[in-house]
Amino acid sequence: MDFPSSLRPTLFMTGPLGLNDVSDLSMCSWQNVLTQPEAQPQNLKNGALHVTKDLLWEPATPGPLPMLPPLVDSWEPGLTAQDLLFRGGYRYRRRPRVVLDVTEQISRFLWDHGDIAFAPIGKLMLENFKLEGAGRCTKKTTVVSVKKLLQDLGGHQPWGCPWASLSNRQRRFSILGGPILGTSVASHLAELLHEELVLRWEQLLLDEACTGGALAWVPGRTPQIGQLVYPAGGALDRLHFQEVVLAPGDNPQFLGKPGHIQLQGPVRQVVTGTVQGETLLAVRSDYHCAVWKFGKQWQPALLQAIQVDKGATGISLSPHLPGELAICSRSGAVCLWSPENGLQQVYKDPETLVFRDSSSWRWADFTAHPRVLTLGDRTGVKMIDTQGPPGCGLLLFRVGAEASCQKGERVLLTQYLRHSSPECLPPTLHLVCTQFSLYLVDERLPLVPMLKWNHGLPSPILLAQLLPPPRPGCVQPLLLGGQAGHLQLLHLAGEGVSAPRLAGPPQSLPSRTDSLPAFPLLEPKIQWRLQERLKAPTIGLAAVVPPLPSASTPGLVVFQLSVAGDVFYQQLRPQADSSPRRDAQPPGDTRPDCRAPTASWTPQDTAGCSQWLKALLKVPLAPPVWTAPTFNHHHLLGSMELQREEGVVQQPGVLREAMAQGRLLLQRDLGSLPLADPPPAPESGPADELSERLREAWAGRGAAWWERRRQARTSGPRRQPRRPKRRTQLSSTFSFSGHVDPSDGTSPPHSPEGPPAGALPRSPITSPSQELTPDAWSQGIPSERRQTLHDYMAKLPLQRDTPGHAGTPPSSQASSTRATHSRQHTPILSGSQHPRKKPRMGF
Amino acid sequence: MSDFSEELKGPVTDDEQVETSVLSGAGMHFPWLQTYIETVAIGGKRKKDFAQTTSACLSFIQEALLKHQWQQAAEYMHSYFQTLEDSDSYKRQAAPEISLQHALYLLHHGMLEDAKRKLSEAETWRHGEKTSSREILINLIQAYKGLLQYYTWSKKKRELSKLDKDDYAYSAVAQDVFNHSWKTSVNISALIKMPGVWDPFVKSYVEMLEFYGDRDGAQEVLTNYAYDEKFPSNPNAHIYLYNFLKRQKAPRSKLISVLKILYQIVPSHKLMLEFHTLLRKSEKEEHHKLGLEVLFGVLDFAGCTKNITAWKYLAKYVKKTLMGNHLVWVQEEWKSRKNWWPSFHFSYFWAKSDWKEDTALACEKAFVAGLLLGKGCRYFRYILKQDHQILGKKIKRMKRSVKKYSIVNPRL
Repeated sequence: MDFPSSLRPTLFMTGPLGLNDVSDLSMCSWQNVLTQPEAQPQNLKNGALHVTKDLLWEPATPGPLPMLPPLVDSWEPGLTAQDLLFRGGYRYRRRPRVVLDVTEQISRFLWDHGDIAFAPIGKLMLENFKLEGAGRCTKKTTVVSVKKLLQDLGGHQPWGCPWASLSNRQRRFSILGGPILGTSVASHLAELLHEELVLRWEQLLLDEACTGGALAWVPGRTPQIGQLVYPAGGALDRLHFQEVVLAPGDNPQFLGKPGHIQLQGPVRQVVTGTVQGETLLAVRSDYHCAVWKFGKQWQPALLQAIQVDKGATGISLSPHLPGELAICSRSGAVCLWSPENGLQQVYKDPETLVFRDSSSWRWADFTAHPRVLTLGDRTGVKMIDTQGPPGCGLLLFRVGAEASCQKGERVLLTQYLRHSSPECLPPTLHLVCTQFSLYLVDERLPLVPMLKWNHGLPSPILLAQLLPPPRPGCVQPLLLGGQAGHLQLLHLAGEGVSAPRLAGPPQSLPSRTDSLPAFPLLEPKIQWRLQERLKAPTIGLAAVVPPLPSASTPGLVVFQLSVAGDVFYQQLRPQADSSPRRDAQPPGDTRPDCRAPTASWTPQDTAGCSQWLKALLKVPLAPPVWTAPTFNHHHLLGSMELQREEGVVQQPGVLREAMAQGRLLLQRDLGSLPLADPPPAPESGPADELSERLREAWAGRGAAWWERRRQARTSGPRRQPRRPKRRTQLSSTFSFSGHVDPSDGTSPPHSPEGPPAGALPRSPITSPSQELTPDAWSQGIPSERRQTLHDYMAKLPLQRDTPGHAGTPPSSQASSTRATHSRQHTPILSGSQHPRKKPRMGF
Repeated sequence: MSDFSEELKGPVTDDEQVETSVLSGAGMHFPWLQTYIETVAIGGKRKKDFAQTTSACLSFIQEALLKHQWQQAAEYMHSYFQTLEDSDSYKRQAAPEISLQHALYLLHHGMLEDAKRKLSEAETWRHGEKTSSREILINLIQAYKGLLQYYTWSKKKRELSKLDKDDYAYSAVAQDVFNHSWKTSVNISALIKMPGVWDPFVKSYVEMLEFYGDRDGAQEVLTNYAYDEKFPSNPNAHIYLYNFLKRQKAPRSKLISVLKILYQIVPSHKLMLEFHTLLRKSEKEEHHKLGLEVLFGVLDFAGCTKNITAWKYLAKYVKKTLMGNHLVWVQEEWKSRKNWWPSFHFSYFWAKSDWKEDTALACEKAFVAGLLLGKGCRYFRYILKQDHQILGKKIKRMKRSVKKYSIVNPRL
């Protein structure tokens, strides 16, 4: 094999990450096109021009379109940062800090699951309770009469009210039980809860489960037909096989209903590959891996399934030997797996490769040598010889000064670029992606990346695919997918003796949220639901280059799978050579949208979208969870009154009036809004001087420009614009737009699902008059818990003794018992907020 | 805040950094963390309006560029130029970097004189702190200057070669050439002493040294570049050294020792076939053994499976080795490959497709397959079955050799 005859200059430094910025510079952008100076000027220019002409793609539609499934699965967006993070106390901090809100979660838990939280302690203290409500006094002071306690509470004890009156008996009880109830339950619970929250937060920051992607393309018997393999069903545990027909220049057609295989767990990764005419499908779940083989009829037949006790983190198919796979697990083991020979452990080390990192994520892949595997973790990538002595290997990539990594940089994805075509890229390249950059590493030159590029994706890159050149001799497209739906298309070239380089400008492709305009106009609630659905994280990516019939332009279809189980597709076509048209424009013409809108929605597209939406709306929503109603508007009004004192908002009186009348507050009630300044248009004329000068200087005509300028100045003095003025205008363009609410987060326009978090009352205090009715309580108590309460209450002959609550005795008791509990925890509850929605935590 | 809610994020020392992202206690950096925090709407320290504006502007530029909306990007860029007026010390330190980038741009567009001037400017940049990274940067700038001088030099050299020695202009040009080389050597030699990949610099430097007959100097540069342990194991360093020694007609043993190291780094390199030839011609028996190893090594790699020369060499050499009573050598090589070479190289699928694509390759492979796997091997049998007029004789000969020498059926 050829090795690049001359590599790009790079400084080589060893050491920890965050050490040097210089070698970063020695890989600066122009060098990607620079090779040897002696041979360069003419050839390269022509080469570059030739290359960039046919490699630029443009989306055929402004956004991806949904594939119509027979059944849209229901999906709930998971936990958000808002559910997990503490929302207060930051105003006075110098730096934003992330604090998990255990308080709120635990208070929600105590409210919703009081029986679980307090019953064990109650059982332990049972002998000190006197459940029979006889009037005789007990001699022992350590025994408390429950009847009396409940009587004192009287069923109308306000929830969590710290100022509620306490009887002596209650006080005694709380002194007696306080130490136990207050600390042991709460601290134990809090410990567990905190552990869980940390886990969830880490998962929210980086959900590595679907690294590699769960969507794959299986070529069919003819080049036009293939199958998409992806998990669906609410739990992603049903593997679907959807037949697709590709026609160049046309949308893919989905044939019939997908076949499916029901699995035992959620599918995290789907890999397919064809080696020596044999097509295999490998699937990774959390604790299982399985491999299927496609037979003559393109029906999958299970070859083998294995269990991975410690949890599988990656699976890959050998590009060299049919039926060989590599899997790795959280224990740090890498196994070579073939259905015929079973598992062969080739490496095991629970420690990370380069420095200590807490992540147990591992990744295994193949290399150009069929017996050498790569093992990746967050700190680096190592090549291990499966036939060599165990434990040894050679570091291919190090998160450190060698690749001039930044502080805090970690490997997110590593992939052997197996589909490199020999006339385009050598088969020895590996892709390594971190939060910041993308590296191409050649296994023949370990540690020194051949190419480094700052991808700037705002979400973790967990998906990548190298595509075959769409036309022989073309550069190879590399597709990158971020978890939040960002897609980027790069082009790689590096044939023969030239070093791999990025050809043409990188490109970002539309994400699913860009398709929103294709859907019909919706009422806000449904719109929001649709938006949430489109925003669901991307967990799979597959791109296909449809076969080329003669004299046809190549195409590219990108399929993406969201965690909600939706498959979207985006068609790309080679960009029409639009540069002459743009050059033909008069130079002074600076209309912002001078580029003709090339992609637009066709009626077919919008029809498809509405059809999909219809299917989506058929999905029943999860039953609305009960939340404690809050009637406290004093807080809101109070803050508004404060603002009135500051002279900012004048309308609380109007609002109060409107509320009293039970009508909407309209714009006309408020008077006219202060007019916002329109954003200043870019200044023309003299202000262009700087950019003009820079442009000229960059092109090497700086002196000539200066001369011209000087002549112009001497011939006619002109007033110079003031710089500082421009600066303020610039900042006013971006720092805010439109109306800014002064009350910091409590702005009136609510999101459709309810009041924004900041607008919620800060304390759970409710006045007695607004207390919940017993009926409301019995509604709030799950049926299974109602039974527990019944059983508990059956022991108490109180019901008939309490007049006024005879109709609903259990629930009234419920509210009072719960009130008792909550009273024990006022210190915790007082700082918390009312549940916004039922916590989605699983305990 | 309750006492059991713990802070996940430790304090960060660098104030600047916090604003764009927050380091997690575990050490990993999440660029998207900031947006999460913002959605929760915690205040924290806010950026100055101006800083916020510029970062927003930058992200707009980036987005527009990635969507290939050049016009829009240019408009944002227009606004962004104001940051160049920012008197931030960090920005000022980046000035030489910008100069270098600009110089490379000019270089790429063939404006060599401008590039040279730019580099000189960057070199004399004196603002900001002088740090070690800065020093390296200056070295790099000087080396690029050297590279440009080399370019002028090689142009002059070409001119010189066209001129007659008795020409009156000759001495002037020759003098010029000499001056250039001296400057270049000063400029480049400082950089290439630093660990790194400096292929273009080393190449041109060595060419100049060679031109002036400083062979020892050239060899020293190349040897340093190849064998200094602080440098990354760059295959090109060894290739350059080998090519230099070959040009100097160095003894075979020396060439072999250079290629031996290259073999350890890149056993798939195309020079390995040359290495094999050298080893085969050597008198030492261990070299003969290594020659076999090298051939097997080349064919281990996915990118070399269709290399007909390698297969031809292997077929010939395996036969020769077996004829020379070195069955053990072949067995030794085969031992670690016998469980995967058959499906990697000699499967029925490959037999069919190789025969279809390249009959000559298929024949060589079939011969090796027969020698290593015996005449029962599917690949061998498939090729044997094919009826080919031209290759018929060859196939027959092959069949005879396999019968005689195959390691599966040693003549016991």
